[in-house]
Amino acid sequence: MLKQILIKLPRKLQKSDLLDSSGSDSGNHTSNSGNGVQCTNIGNSISSRLSVVKRVSSAVFPASIMVGVEAVEPYLSFTDVSILQKQSLFISKLNLCCEVSDFSDPDKTSAEQDLKHQTLIELVDFVSTGSAKFNEPAIAAMCKMCAVNLFRVFPPKYRSNSISGEVEDEEPMFDPSWSNLQLVYDLLLGFITYSSLDAKVAKKYVDHSFISRLLDLFDSEDPRERDCLKTILHRIYGKLMVHRPFVRKAVSNIIYRFVFETERHNGIAELLEIFGSIISGFAVPLKEEHKMFLWKALIPLHKPKLVGVYHQQLTFCVVQFIDKDPKLADSVIKGLLKYWPVTNSQKELMFISELEEVLEMTSMAEFLKIMVPLFRRIAFCLNSSHYQVAERTHLLWNNEHILNLVTHNRQVIFPLIFPALERNSENHWNQAVLNLTQSIKKMLCEMDEELVLACRQKMEEENSQSSEATEKRKLIWERLETAANVIPPAACPDLYVITIKRFRGTGFQAYVSATP
Amino acid sequence: MSTVEEPLYPIALLIDELKNDDIQLRLNSIRRLSTIARALGEERTRKELIPFLSENNDDDDEVLLAMAEELGVFIPYVGGVEHARVLLAPLETLCTVEETCVRDKAVKSLCRIGSQMKENDLVDWFVPLVKRLAAGEWFTARVSACGLFHIAYPSAPEMLKTELRSIYSQLCQDDMPMVRRSAASNLGKFAATVENAHLKAEIMQIFNNLTQDDQDSIRLLAVEGFAALGKLLEPQDCVAHIIPVIVNFSQDKSWRVRYMVANQLYELCEAVGPQPTRTVLVPAYVRLLRDNEAEVRIAAAGKVTKFSQILSPELATHHILPCVKELSSDSSQHVRSALASVIMGMAPVLGKDKRVQARGTNINYLLWDWTDRRSFHSVVVVITVVSMFMLDDATIEQLLPIYLSLLKDEFPDVRLNIISKLDQVNQVVGIDLLSQSLLPAIVELAEDRHWRVRLAIIEYIPLLASQLGVGFFDDKLGILCMQWLQDKVYSIRDAAANNLMRLAEEFGRDWAMEHIIPQVLEMANSPHYLYRMTILRSISILAPVMGSEITCSKLLPVVVNASKDRVANIKFNVAKVLQSLVPIVDKSVSIPISNILDHLFQLVRVAEKTIYPCLVELSEDSDVDVRYFANQGLQSINHATMSS
Repeated sequence: MLKQILIKLPRKLQKSDLLDSSGSDSGNHTSNSGNGVQCTNIGNSISSRLSVVKRVSSAVFPASIMVGVEAVEPYLSFTDVSILQKQSLFISKLNLCCEVSDFSDPDKTSAEQDLKHQTLIELVDFVSTGSAKFNEPAIAAMCKMCAVNLFRVFPPKYRSNSISGEVEDEEPMFDPSWSNLQLVYDLLLGFITYSSLDAKVAKKYVDHSFISRLLDLFDSEDPRERDCLKTILHRIYGKLMVHRPFVRKAVSNIIYRFVFETERHNGIAELLEIFGSIISGFAVPLKEEHKMFLWKALIPLHKPKLVGVYHQQLTFCVVQFIDKDPKLADSVIKGLLKYWPVTNSQKELMFISELEEVLEMTSMAEFLKIMVPLFRRIAFCLNSSHYQVAERTHLLWNNEHILNLVTHNRQVIFPLIFPALERNSENHWNQAVLNLTQSIKKMLCEMDEELVLACRQKMEEENSQSSEATEKRKLIWERLETAANVIPPAACPDLYVITIKRFRGTGFQAYVSATP
Repeated sequence: MSTVEEPLYPIALLIDELKNDDIQLRLNSIRRLSTIARALGEERTRKELIPFLSENNDDDDEVLLAMAEELGVFIPYVGGVEHARVLLAPLETLCTVEETCVRDKAVKSLCRIGSQMKENDLVDWFVPLVKRLAAGEWFTARVSACGLFHIAYPSAPEMLKTELRSIYSQLCQDDMPMVRRSAASNLGKFAATVENAHLKAEIMQIFNNLTQDDQDSIRLLAVEGFAALGKLLEPQDCVAHIIPVIVNFSQDKSWRVRYMVANQLYELCEAVGPQPTRTVLVPAYVRLLRDNEAEVRIAAAGKVTKFSQILSPELATHHILPCVKELSSDSSQHVRSALASVIMGMAPVLGKDKRVQARGTNINYLLWDWTDRRSFHSVVVVITVVSMFMLDDATIEQLLPIYLSLLKDEFPDVRLNIISKLDQVNQVVGIDLLSQSLLPAIVELAEDRHWRVRLAIIEYIPLLASQLGVGFFDDKLGILCMQWLQDKVYSIRDAAANNLMRLAEEFGRDWAMEHIIPQVLEMANSPHYLYRMTILRSISILAPVMGSEITCSKLLPVVVNASKDRVANIKFNVAKVLQSLVPIVDKSVSIPISNILDHLFQLVRVAEKTIYPCLVELSEDSDVDVRYFANQGLQSINHATMSS
């Protein structure tokens, strides 16, 4: 939309300085006296057509702020003006950069774009040397410039080229306008990290809407952009304390949407990285709100199949939580067991290593609460026909802390895992796994030979009974089935006839379809 | 079954089963919930089973999902509709769990139950449930609530209705975007139940709020609701309230929203009638056809025919056709192919007069356009556009060269496209004239280096066969079909086997005996085991078509022979194929009575003499998988002989 309109504008006019595209204070700038009137007229017409830009600027950046700033010709260099004028030149240049240029069209790399690029470089220099002062007009101009340049709707993911698109290209997308975007991000970072920034003024412009649009950008396909955003959001979180709850809430919403609705987002890893350091800064005892974040956002994040992309960061966050409050270990492990992957071995490997990290920090009291379901799962993993999964699970026994936990609770744990180890030595296909199984069995024997013998005996008994149990279960259900067919549902007596008749033929579905 | 046994405790059994570690067993017992209910009887189901389920929902999501589904059809087991309310409690809890599919299923089941409940029961039990969920602390409950309003609303008394409307409007402004999304996507359904008087005032207000939402995911759902709402309102109200919003949406900054508008717009045209369509909606649609974002143009282009159908021929010719021409040379090939796939339908839209009238002005123009641009989709489009204008003899002379050169186009897609539309092209030009050029095109595609292209052409072979007839096929295509059986890519080999079967169906058994079977069987001795496997697969697919006699005499010996292969994979596939051949050998049920005995005898003989010993031999193989499948085969034969 926006680009289209800009393209349609005559070039000459684009070049002229639209000092104020919010377009309400036409009479204020005098320096452009020559074509001032004409210019502003066009400014007005642009801003009325660019409804998007206008909405941003009028809502967030009331025109009144701009009034009274003495405008300085933006084409001048910072070195050419007096110290007094530098600040207004700074604002002029920021305003100049509010024009958005179309980088997707290679023919359009024209003078205006060079000019803008040049101006941005000057601005970055100016800010990085610490000469810029961020008073209210400068903050307003800065935020507006960032909003106009950064907040955009991402294009759809490009479809692979028809039939020839055989290769699954996981190549990250690089935004063609990055050269400018990067400078704008540098400026925003310079502004946020400005040492004597007045947070009270800054929060007026870096408000909820600004932050939530900034968060939307985390979905960018370009890893460089996400990296910039990560740093900036982190700084905003650090500087603008009032916005902290909002940032946390907005990020949770992004995570909920990712987990429960779309399973598509490019920036989860970056967001979690920021949260890693946010969590490590939480005060103890943890607030209920923070624990909710662990339970409702972080633990469900184990579910999506893309977990590999952000698993490292996720583990870090989880471990930070347990570090703050060891009592959380049991709910984390329960969560891991709940989302334990059934068919995805790569994911399973990640889960096992996360489990090891969590167990490292688990105290005996917490361990007691979850050891039964946990070791049931571990028994399955020991038997995995994916040799890496099986191997990795065996290696848990090398961990001193875990071994200690197991040793103390061997009366419960041995019976759970011993049958699995036996099954392995009978028919696991992989030699390395067999060796590991052998050495663990040896270890168990050395620990408590009597118990191992008892386990073996129990297992043999169970094996001989298992087919019997299956048979018994089948019989009970058959009896139940017969009993069910004898007692008619009295509410629909005529239906009953159909039921019995159809039930024998086609099974339960027929019954359902016969109900009104 | 012995009758004197320990007494049966269905609930205890269920509890026991649900405690089992094996999720499969828990799942099975939930799936048989109805059996337990019937064994218990209605009253005990209400008093014992349902409360038990309400309390025990801390299981795996998969089990909960099954429970939500079962409860949806449980009304007969609790004593009919007058007791349906007891089912609400367990489903209410399921509406609040984390997992989306469980919640969705629970909502669906609740709607199902609610739509059967008596009016006063709805007011006493269902409405309070909706209100509780809507006030739920965690967002999952509120998300679920949104999907229940359209059931609760109609039977509520006036006061309650007012309350429900205001609750819904609050949900539309909820703090959590998830709730707002759910509210937005269910608003259409809810609005359909609301009285007309409130539609214009309150519901419109809710919609307007949604259109202002920051999140494009919510605005785009609102678009969908708007189209639904437009149909509910009187045309003049629709023009006054809906159209401006939609036109606004068509210029939304998010392409996703515009995409949605492009998809929905034609439905609104139906609702508002011709006049506003001409003045407002056509320009909006034309704008979407020229959108900056290719995805939007794809959506818009895909609706060209539907949209034109609502318009008068004049409007379509004046406004839409020029865009169609533009789109036909669009820079995005996806736009062009979206257009190509619907454009055929435009011909009848324009009417005969228009076609003739338009012919003079357009034809030369279009033809010229074709020579100008080599872009393949534009050509396809031009062809189809041309063909819809003129369907007389003069056309053919002009069209034929274009079709012919399309068949030689450098893009495989173009050639495929033309071949895939062969039946339509056939109507316009007649196939005889094309067949000479068709063959080289097919041969080239059949050997294309991209396997998907090869796969596509294989899938068109049966179409080609039916259009071209058996003669053409025998001479030229037979060899190709055999070649594909030895392709490097599995999918191609598999498709080739299927293709043979479809050809045998098309041309009949005798033809297949002559042209397919010998060639296939010849390949059974291929040195490459994968090709030998393909032959086994072909045999198993062809056997049902060829019938028992040919299977016994021709196919079976080859399979049995393959059981002595040195590759284990071949051997266990032999076991599988043998198993699948048993019912075919056993097929002819319609034989005269007197022959049945003979037939049975023969069946037993075939099974006994060939299949059975072969499987027995395989069941003693050194490879575990071969033994497994051989044993399965033996079991199924035992079953078959037992039942006959």
